[in-house]
Amino acid sequence: MKRRALLKGSLAGAAALAMPYIARAQSGQKLSFLTWNIADQEKLFKEEFADFQKTHPGVEIEWLDKKGPDLPAFYQTQLVAGTAPDVVDLQGALWVEYAAGGALLDLSPYLAKEPEVAKLYNADYLASWRYDGKTYMLPFYIAKTLLFYNKAMFKEAGLEAPPASFDEILSFAQRMAKGEKTGFMTLNFDWLYWPLFKMNGVDLLTADMKKPAFNTPQAAEVLGKLAASTDKGAINKISWTGRWVEPNGAFAGNTVGMFHAHSSAYFFVKGQGAWINPDTLGITQLPGYWATPTNHGFGISKSSKNPDLAWAFIKHLTSNKWATEFALRRKLVTGTIVADQQSLETIGKEDPLGRAVLQTQLEHTDKFTGNWPLPFDAELKDAFYPEIQNAVLGRKTAAAALGDAERAVERVLRRHA
Amino acid sequence: MARRGRGGRWRRTAEVWCLLAPSLAIFLLYRILPLLWNGVLSFEDWSPLRPAHWIGLENYDEMLFDDGVFWQALWNTLIFMASAPIGIVIALALALLVNARIRGRDIYRTIIFLSYPLMTVAVAIIWRWMFDERVGLINYVARSLDLVDRPIQFLNSFNWALPSVIAANTWQMLGFYMIILLTGLQSIPGELHEAAAIDGATGSRRFWSITLPLLRPTLFLCFVIGMLNSFTSFDLVYVMTGGGPGRATELLITYIYKLGFSQTRFDYAAAVTVFFFVLLISVTWVANRLSGRDAGAMRLD
Repeated sequence: MKRRALLKGSLAGAAALAMPYIARAQSGQKLSFLTWNIADQEKLFKEEFADFQKTHPGVEIEWLDKKGPDLPAFYQTQLVAGTAPDVVDLQGALWVEYAAGGALLDLSPYLAKEPEVAKLYNADYLASWRYDGKTYMLPFYIAKTLLFYNKAMFKEAGLEAPPASFDEILSFAQRMAKGEKTGFMTLNFDWLYWPLFKMNGVDLLTADMKKPAFNTPQAAEVLGKLAASTDKGAINKISWTGRWVEPNGAFAGNTVGMFHAHSSAYFFVKGQGAWINPDTLGITQLPGYWATPTNHGFGISKSSKNPDLAWAFIKHLTSNKWATEFALRRKLVTGTIVADQQSLETIGKEDPLGRAVLQTQLEHTDKFTGNWPLPFDAELKDAFYPEIQNAVLGRKTAAAALGDAERAVERVLRRHA
Repeated sequence: MARRGRGGRWRRTAEVWCLLAPSLAIFLLYRILPLLWNGVLSFEDWSPLRPAHWIGLENYDEMLFDDGVFWQALWNTLIFMASAPIGIVIALALALLVNARIRGRDIYRTIIFLSYPLMTVAVAIIWRWMFDERVGLINYVARSLDLVDRPIQFLNSFNWALPSVIAANTWQMLGFYMIILLTGLQSIPGELHEAAAIDGATGSRRFWSITLPLLRPTLFLCFVIGMLNSFTSFDLVYVMTGGGPGRATELLITYIYKLGFSQTRFDYAAAVTVFFFVLLISVTWVANRLSGRDAGAMRLD
């Protein structure tokens, strides 16, 4: 009897101890969260998670960060395995492929149900995540291209104001090119060079996005001029071959007159170039105010078992409070209107130039280009850009390169017709 | 007796299979099954976002008749592969040097071999900086010696990019080739050289008539490994140039990666992989024929 009583007592005790855990496991939910190359913000994320858990007790958040090139491959494999993270941070135009393929949840019903949420964000940036009439992402952090210029090199070349046209960009660049110095450089990934074409009236595709529209005499003239300027040393060749570190490093080296890049470049370059201050670095929009955005947004995987919770989570991450915190710590703009106003004010007190750079990211947001919502954007880029390289680096004439690019782009379009 | 003998054979066979089973299982799971799946995938239209459906030879048709990049990547791969003998010749010279009775030869051997165990990504980053036009050592030396007026944009030039990547690859493989060749050199009986020297053969005559013929299997081994290494030099090319400028350094292996993971065209990437595999098998088969059909075989005496 004694032994039976002891056994019963032990079982009852164990059950009593286990009860809260069992109850929690039954009521608890788990959110998996995948970010793109932002592991440095671990402290902030942990604070954000803790804050979220206060209003959503029992929710477990599993955070995973992947380096730049690793994330797409990782997300793809997770999709195939049926274990895609609930919330994913996607950059550039990658989201379109996933949205078109049914991997991302349409957020439009949520935005329609809570109209005050959409009002939190810059409307133009939010609109850049629309595909087929539906919104798939909320802004995490945003950026678009602008023109940095080296005031000392401008002065040395007798230039007083930044260029006001494409031809002025090239002529100014030529005036500054001397010895090791070059006049102009651009970032080239993710269509960031496209404003140079757009400001000359060149479009990549027809309005219905079904045919190439770039093989025109005007485009050949633009490309020919870019090639000639590159050949003469006015445009730095790194423009067409470097990705991120090389062009930023070259501009930080104080030997490039103008640099067409997005706001993140400022903070990278400032860290390397001791010469950079408000007296030496000028910032302006490109002629015509054209700019290519390169944004990060939060989407929800369609396979999420807790879509409502995931929606609450991304609202939390992009709320005024946490977007402001993020903007201040990372020195960027988030697309959350109030957060950007508040953070710019604070950043401006210690870095007026940084504030001015970030301010450009919120202006002329109606002049985005190079951000076509195409599910096969990566394929198109890969078909088009090598031919541009062939032309600007002197391997083919502009006309021949555009002809070959047209054939390559037609092939991609045909496959996706 | 006969029954016991048969039982012994069975037991031995069972033991062999038991010992082989783990390796075979891994080989089957991670090599054969993916290979078969890849073969099937090459005849399908599939991506992680849409179900597969059979399209027959469409991917192959596109690859062979409608994809200039594939041919460019194939051509670059063949050039890369053909560069293996350059490294072998240099390594042979180094091996002869460190095989001679010179002071500190063990140190030289170690220094030369050090390039091989380095991570390929590290090698790629080192050489990318070496070739850099602003801070690169090569341009610095060339300009200091007044060999060039303006820095050479090695990795940004259509003409220089592929040779530059080949140079980095050759440098990394030198240590490996040298050790293999050194082993081969040391396995040549010294009496042969001594007898030839007594007969009045010069150093160069001894090299051409004794060293080189006896080194043939070792040279062949280096050649095969060098070629196979060229086929799979993904990380070196990807880090140094990403396949550019244009397609100047695009290899089949980098193209397959881009098709799969940048463009999400796993189906088409599978077709290129099948071609790549067939090419690899063909090269290995030819190499095996040239070696007398017993490369890698072990004699059981």
